[in-house]
Amino acid sequence: MEALRVENIVKRFPNVLANDNVSLSIEKGEIFAIVGENGAGKSTLMKIVYGLYLPDSGNIYVFGKKANLKDSRDAINLKIGMVHQEFMLIPRFTVTENVVLGDEPKKFGFVFDYNKAVKEVKELSEKYSLTVDPTEKVENLPVGIQQRVEILKILRRGAEILIFDEPTAVLTPEETEELFKTLRKLKEAGKTIVFISHKLSEVMEIADRIAVMRRGKVQGIVKKEETNERELAKMMVGRDVVLEIERVKTEPGNVVFEVKDLAVKNPRGIIGLKDVSFKVREGEIVAIAGVEGNGQSELVNAILGFYKPIKGVISIAGKEMKFITPYEIRSKGLAYITEDRKRRGLILQYRARENIILGKHTLYPFSKNGIMNDAAIDEYATRKLQEFDVRPPEPYMKAVNFSGGNQQKIILARELSMDHKFLLASQPTRGLDVGAMEFVYKWLIEEKKKGIGILLISLELSEVMGLADRILVLYKGEIVGETTPENTTEEELGEMMLGLKRKVLQ
Amino acid sequence: MKEVFGRIFIHRREENWWMNLLVPITSIIIALIVGAIFIASTGRDPILAYKLMFGASGFVPGPYFKTHFAEMLLYTALFASTGLAFALPARAGLFSIGAEGQFLVGMITAAFFGFWKPLYNLPSFIHITIIFAIVILFGGLWGLIAGFLKAKKGINETIITIMLNWIAFHLIEGWLVPTGGPLAADVSTGVSGTPYVSPSARLPVILPGTRLNISILVMLLVIYLAWFLLYRTVFGYEIRAMGYTAITNMEAPKIGGVNTEKRIMQIMFMGGAIAALGGSFVVLGFLGQYPPVFEGGYGFDGIAVALIGGNEPVGILLSSMLIGGLRTGATAVQLARIPKTFPAIIEGLIVAFIALNELIRYLLSKVLLRKKEGVA
Repeated sequence: MEALRVENIVKRFPNVLANDNVSLSIEKGEIFAIVGENGAGKSTLMKIVYGLYLPDSGNIYVFGKKANLKDSRDAINLKIGMVHQEFMLIPRFTVTENVVLGDEPKKFGFVFDYNKAVKEVKELSEKYSLTVDPTEKVENLPVGIQQRVEILKILRRGAEILIFDEPTAVLTPEETEELFKTLRKLKEAGKTIVFISHKLSEVMEIADRIAVMRRGKVQGIVKKEETNERELAKMMVGRDVVLEIERVKTEPGNVVFEVKDLAVKNPRGIIGLKDVSFKVREGEIVAIAGVEGNGQSELVNAILGFYKPIKGVISIAGKEMKFITPYEIRSKGLAYITEDRKRRGLILQYRARENIILGKHTLYPFSKNGIMNDAAIDEYATRKLQEFDVRPPEPYMKAVNFSGGNQQKIILARELSMDHKFLLASQPTRGLDVGAMEFVYKWLIEEKKKGIGILLISLELSEVMGLADRILVLYKGEIVGETTPENTTEEELGEMMLGLKRKVLQ
Repeated sequence: MKEVFGRIFIHRREENWWMNLLVPITSIIIALIVGAIFIASTGRDPILAYKLMFGASGFVPGPYFKTHFAEMLLYTALFASTGLAFALPARAGLFSIGAEGQFLVGMITAAFFGFWKPLYNLPSFIHITIIFAIVILFGGLWGLIAGFLKAKKGINETIITIMLNWIAFHLIEGWLVPTGGPLAADVSTGVSGTPYVSPSARLPVILPGTRLNISILVMLLVIYLAWFLLYRTVFGYEIRAMGYTAITNMEAPKIGGVNTEKRIMQIMFMGGAIAALGGSFVVLGFLGQYPPVFEGGYGFDGIAVALIGGNEPVGILLSSMLIGGLRTGATAVQLARIPKTFPAIIEGLIVAFIALNELIRYLLSKVLLRKKEGVA
């Protein structure tokens, strides 16, 4: 019997076609996995099924009946439940309170019957072997158990189709094993499970059938028995390179940036980066490839001085940086292009002219003796906005009103005009359309020609292969591969990114 | 020249800048209407009440206009000081409610250096200048305590400033000022509270026949400096950048090389200094001493002033005049058999409607902007 069918779903976001005519059919009682790179459209599709997004066109059928999903309430009524990546739990509430929230058992029609609720939750957790203490506060529980509470919550609402959006991203390997046991049990109980992931090993372990998505399209649906991780990786990454990137040969010069034995803990207390060492030379692009969440953000934050390393040394232009603050490292000659334009790159309420001088605002001619020189700022901003082709080239427009691509151009205009020796480009093309991507690539190559050392952190293999002189692959906080574009293929990189292979260039 | 003016007045202003003026004015009008309903519901005459209140507020000419006008401006200087003391840290994304304590610190400092023997016989100009300088230093340091803890230890500035308000209050009124306290007047003089300050420390009156003294001029200068600081200097540029990004942990300014720790401490110092200056106006301007019991509240009124004024120096000048006028007119409403605390209700209503500014802005823009589009 068919539990869920989506037909010709199209969903367009500004600049991105997130779902391009997607059709899938999921049988009752199977574990159906959807894999794909970040931004491939798998989460968008599931959010449409759960009623969080409205599709531009296409139909959804639930248990054979056409569903008209306007919000998640409709989805819940149709017995669809979703476990989100970020849990929707109230930490100060007990497990029971969280599970019954919104649909509490009542005494006399209005008094919350806590004891009855506890009993209900206990019965439910025994039925599906989801062991959990119903009276414990959620804040005292480890993440894996919190996830069980989420599952209990949707089961209590009578969910028959359970959607898991990258459920293992926050779990330890042991917790993942526990989750898989739960999933199998749910399957035995006749529930339908949709499992979204980009970790191929997990998908191969748990799924019955697997759909691979790339750039909003379904590339293929395969049975687990008829495929292997290698083939999935190939389908997932694809081989066609979107952008032709001009290759420029430069002679690498002195070391401008070096990281030695760097280990970093993230705020959740997990060691995100383990003893990483590498060097970046003048005129060289070193790319860090890897699936998101394998230590990239820890690396960037440690370089910028937001996270304090547990051990290791970062040096810029031969100078060792200890107890770095962002201010210090910037003054030593670091330029930084960020993927998080709205939070890190720009001050959205500031005008373009004010954003474009941030970091240089203390210098002549923009200010003298602490007083800003508006005429000089206007002149400079007008010139730079034209040079970097920001549209509209209006220095008095607030940053928030520019499109994503133009916001990135403002950041480029600011960062590349700084006095710098080293450029940290963290996913510089994330969320950009093809035109803006090309623009970013062009400027990165310009920088390289000028002899700037560039550390490129990217999730896009085509970008890594096209731009880098050397490639380092991060997996679970370690460098598992070091190679060059000439000595590798995207398939091989994909395998290293997924932890299937190690390779170190001699 | 024309070009320069064009740049300043046309280019630089925000789109629909007039909304920023219209929204508070609308809020005030709504507050006055709701206030009128309150009065009417008690069976009294709201028109008469407002006539009396505004007649004595110093805004409209009438009997005793000069006195009312002077009183209004005296209040204005006080409210502007505590308003700025809230608004400046607020522009950097800090919620400091320590103006109350800083104000008291300013008062006691001014009182002490006003009666302190070594300075007692100095010429007036020098004496007052020295007192202001010390008041600014002490008030600033009082504000800096919270700034330091916030910047270096990440401790919530709101909680620290509340605590510091109580510490200042009890240090002064529980220890320094009561009879027998270190700064209390000798019992034999018959004065309670601190001794009276030297005549040379009294602020000179600028409008003969009234109490109006130079405090308003000093405050106008401070307001101008605050505006200049916020909008014309690197310091202000960084402070505003921090305020806009406070919700995202000030990451963008930090990456832009802003030393946020230093700036937090500096702006907290300034807030404290300005509030303390307001405190010194009370002592040097009319009380002449730190009284045994001081009925405070200026610090908290300052939050209302800053809210109404939109945390803009010029807005604070206008809103402190408004609140000052309401206070001045407060006694007159008793003639309409309304308690003199009534203007406080108006003040509360204004703040309440200012707090609804997003709603009022939305409604106004719906009515006004659509019309404009229709014409165009």
